[in-house]
Amino acid sequence: MSKYIEKISRLFRIIKENGGVLGSVRTVFRMEELKTGTLVGEDELGNKYFHNPMYFVGRSRWVVYSDAAGHDYDGSQVPAEWHRWLSYISDETPDKADLPKYPWLAKHTENQSGTPQEYVPYSTTRPKIQAWKPKTEEVYRKHF
Amino acid sequence: MLRLWPLRQVVSSAGARFIPACQKSTAPEPAPELVEVFVNDKQVFVEPGTTVLQACAVAGIEIPRFCYHERLSIAGNCRMCLVEVERSAKPIASCAMPVMKGMKVKTDSPVTKKAREGVMEFLLMNHPLDCPICDQGGECDLQDQSMNFGSDKSRFTDIAFTGKRAVEDKNVGPLVKTIMTRCIHCTRCIRFASEVAGVEDLGTTGRGNEMQVGTYVEKMLQSELSGNVIDLCPVGALTSKPYAFTARPWETRKIESIDVMDALGSNIVVSMRTNEVMRVLPRVNEDINEEWISDKTRFAYDGLKRQRLTTPFLKDANGQLMQTDWESAFLAIARKLQGVEGSQMAAVAGGLVDAEALTSLKDLMNRLGCETLCTEEIFPMDGSGTDFRSNYLMNTTIAGVEEADVVLFIGTNPRFEAPVFNARVRKSWIHNDLKVAMIGAPVDLTYEYEHLGETVDVIEKLAGGNHPFCKVLESAKRPMVVMGSSCLQRSDGSALHFMVSTLANRVKAASGADAEWRVLNVLHRVASQVAALDLGYSAGVSGVREAKPQMLFLLGADEGAITRSDLADGAFVVYQGHHGDQGAQMADVILPGAAYTEKDATYVNTEGRAQLTRQAVTPPGMARNDWKVLRALSELLGVTLPYDKLQEVRQRMAEISPTLVRVGEIEEANFFKQAIEATKAGKTSLGKEPLVPPQQVLKDFYMTDSITRASPTMAKCVQAATEAESSVH
Amino acid sequence: MASRAVQQGFKQVKPILSTNHHEAKRRVLNLYKAWYRQIPYVVKDFDVPISVKMGREKVREMFNKNKHITDIRTIDLLVIKGQMELVETAQIWKQRPHIMKYFEDTVNERPADFLGKFYDGHDP
Repeated sequence: MSKYIEKISRLFRIIKENGGVLGSVRTVFRMEELKTGTLVGEDELGNKYFHNPMYFVGRSRWVVYSDAAGHDYDGSQVPAEWHRWLSYISDETPDKADLPKYPWLAKHTENQSGTPQEYVPYSTTRPKIQAWKPKTEEVYRKHF
Repeated sequence: MLRLWPLRQVVSSAGARFIPACQKSTAPEPAPELVEVFVNDKQVFVEPGTTVLQACAVAGIEIPRFCYHERLSIAGNCRMCLVEVERSAKPIASCAMPVMKGMKVKTDSPVTKKAREGVMEFLLMNHPLDCPICDQGGECDLQDQSMNFGSDKSRFTDIAFTGKRAVEDKNVGPLVKTIMTRCIHCTRCIRFASEVAGVEDLGTTGRGNEMQVGTYVEKMLQSELSGNVIDLCPVGALTSKPYAFTARPWETRKIESIDVMDALGSNIVVSMRTNEVMRVLPRVNEDINEEWISDKTRFAYDGLKRQRLTTPFLKDANGQLMQTDWESAFLAIARKLQGVEGSQMAAVAGGLVDAEALTSLKDLMNRLGCETLCTEEIFPMDGSGTDFRSNYLMNTTIAGVEEADVVLFIGTNPRFEAPVFNARVRKSWIHNDLKVAMIGAPVDLTYEYEHLGETVDVIEKLAGGNHPFCKVLESAKRPMVVMGSSCLQRSDGSALHFMVSTLANRVKAASGADAEWRVLNVLHRVASQVAALDLGYSAGVSGVREAKPQMLFLLGADEGAITRSDLADGAFVVYQGHHGDQGAQMADVILPGAAYTEKDATYVNTEGRAQLTRQAVTPPGMARNDWKVLRALSELLGVTLPYDKLQEVRQRMAEISPTLVRVGEIEEANFFKQAIEATKAGKTSLGKEPLVPPQQVLKDFYMTDSITRASPTMAKCVQAATEAESSVH
Repeated sequence: MASRAVQQGFKQVKPILSTNHHEAKRRVLNLYKAWYRQIPYVVKDFDVPISVKMGREKVREMFNKNKHITDIRTIDLLVIKGQMELVETAQIWKQRPHIMKYFEDTVNERPADFLGKFYDGHDP
């Protein structure tokens, strides 16, 4: 009996933590689940990372994507150092782990497929015929 | 110099060949001066002085050879042509041995075979085994002959490599690549350079095993015909530098075509692979180029792959040329032409345009009411002008030089304006004691000539009969006067033409040559000129300058004869052609056309001989055959041209001038007297400036049209020739 | 030469299947019925993106294409060929593209006029 009481009280706690009934509906609408856990960190994009060992491994760490992403979030928005923690590669969160920082490390970018910035493969062989290009004039440069 | 034996005549003349069915008295009685020779017991009759090798050729047996070449002098140093002759102690070198009466030659005997195997073994002993990386592989005489006549086993045991002969490579310029270790010392290249090309650059140093072929000091092979040594070299010692490691002969398709780099129309073979021109080789045509071609013909093909117009262009609102499609380009032209009178239009044809495109353009413009159709190259139009074909043709023909005994060049440098013709003149100078004289800036023609002066008054004196050289001209049996079209570009061109015609007629009358012999010759510089004049284009753009047209159509006109300042303000310029050069840069609409390797087209050479190019590759991108562009445009302009097929265009050409479709033939043109009479009326005074041909030294030769200007190889040649000029050697 | 051709024209020809027009017509109708009944199975077996109605219309169209033919021997041969097609279809000796070959209406025709060919880029 007490088992059921505990489950019900946890449900109420989760609803409360998610900002009441309305907030919970919003969360379910956006993320399709309601969970409770401790906030372990936040990355520079505004994604929040949660941990709750009560859930089974595989569900015990999760990310709540930043509001800036809206409904258009996907897994590639998680930076590499948080991906390390989120995928159970390590138990240390990036702020605790002593990760090396090199000046040449590129800033994290999400997957650009389907956007104008996407990568399109191109031929690297030299064309057989080199086409003529008209000489550009100053007028043209000013306009564009 | 040793006179070459004309093998062709021996082979072709039916009278010299008698092969009776049996050797009894039933055989036809041969001409008494012929010599009887037995080749493998087969009786043949040849002229005395014929070599054994040629006698064998008459009998239908080909003797292997490396050094012997029928257009070069006989060297007899490769020993590959050894044959056994009965009652001779040793095998004899058949290429150098004249036949003797009753000689019995055995070309298949064990002695002959052994001799060949021995020569082959010696050659291969010091020849590298690099056939897999050799550019001659597949078309190598040594490869072929070692398979046919060599031994089937080797006695070469130097596996440890203690010293196979090796020779350092020479740098002889940007065209010919040398791998001198492969050289077998046939000396064909040396003989070609000194006999045909007339440059004494190549030679040998050292003796025996130490002998080396080269230039002695490192320098460029300064000849406009240098590429021919690549074809002559029987091994891979001299190969083409631009073609190096690009294709094998068995991978390429060969298309027989015509060259358009000069007005001679040399016959060429275009090698094509994967829709790319891999190289250009000469094709034998005894009437035009024998088997030589100039370096521009051979190496300018890489210009066909650069600076090409691949899509139509159209000027946008900012005055900037932007890529577009055919329909918009045509519509833009059609919109602009609305309300423009035919008299306010003009068309200019350039130097690389084919007769089909010229016909279509003329028909199109005439249908629009425009009569101002010009060529970029100037030719005098006063008096009889271009009305008589004989006024603007090389009437004596190229091969006719070999019959002539005096040639007078006026204001031309045939060495660079028509290199193969110049080689023909040199051949005649060597073998027929041809006398050459020249009026104009003194240039190196590779043979000696009498320089009569630089200015026009020399012609006047000659025409008047008060010049010492008149005696030579009058005593000549078959004189020739060759006038360069470059000297007719001057403002006094028509007076010059008249003066030279007068001179030619005077010489003709005095020399007593038969009626069929024609003295006056015009040596053109561009391939399209004769066809354009045949079709009734007016030569020179003065008509356009007078008309100040609203609309100008440039068909491959890239020499900058017309600029924007010659046109009405805000004039509309359409350019059609294959290269982005001066013409394309000044245009409002650009229509991409096809180059000479990309279309079936007719070109008429300076002799008036129509010849066909064949399509080797497809035009790049959206480019189309030129006459088709004009035909399509005509439909959008509402004046549809009545032909859809190439045959129909050629029918139309035949209607205008039947000479344009008689491929390979020369039409008689002999109206010199009438021409002179018609010209007498309108006569301007002669200028005082000296006659200076635009191409004087080798570096001027390489870049003369839109294709050669786009060619990296030609640019390298200009650089190398410029450096060679200032070199101490 | 000409007289022999005339002679041949009058000669009695051997019938292929039918002896008179009526019989030939019956054979055509039988074949048409067989095709009509086969179409639902064809659509199902080959899993082609066409409806039964479209298939039957196509059969009708194919039969109508030859409706101008009156020669009995020609009709018989066409019936034989149609029967062969039917067997090949029913036995699934054919494959999907062979069925779809009948529905080529969406393929653009190549232009025949000069300008069309010019824009298209193939040799006029």
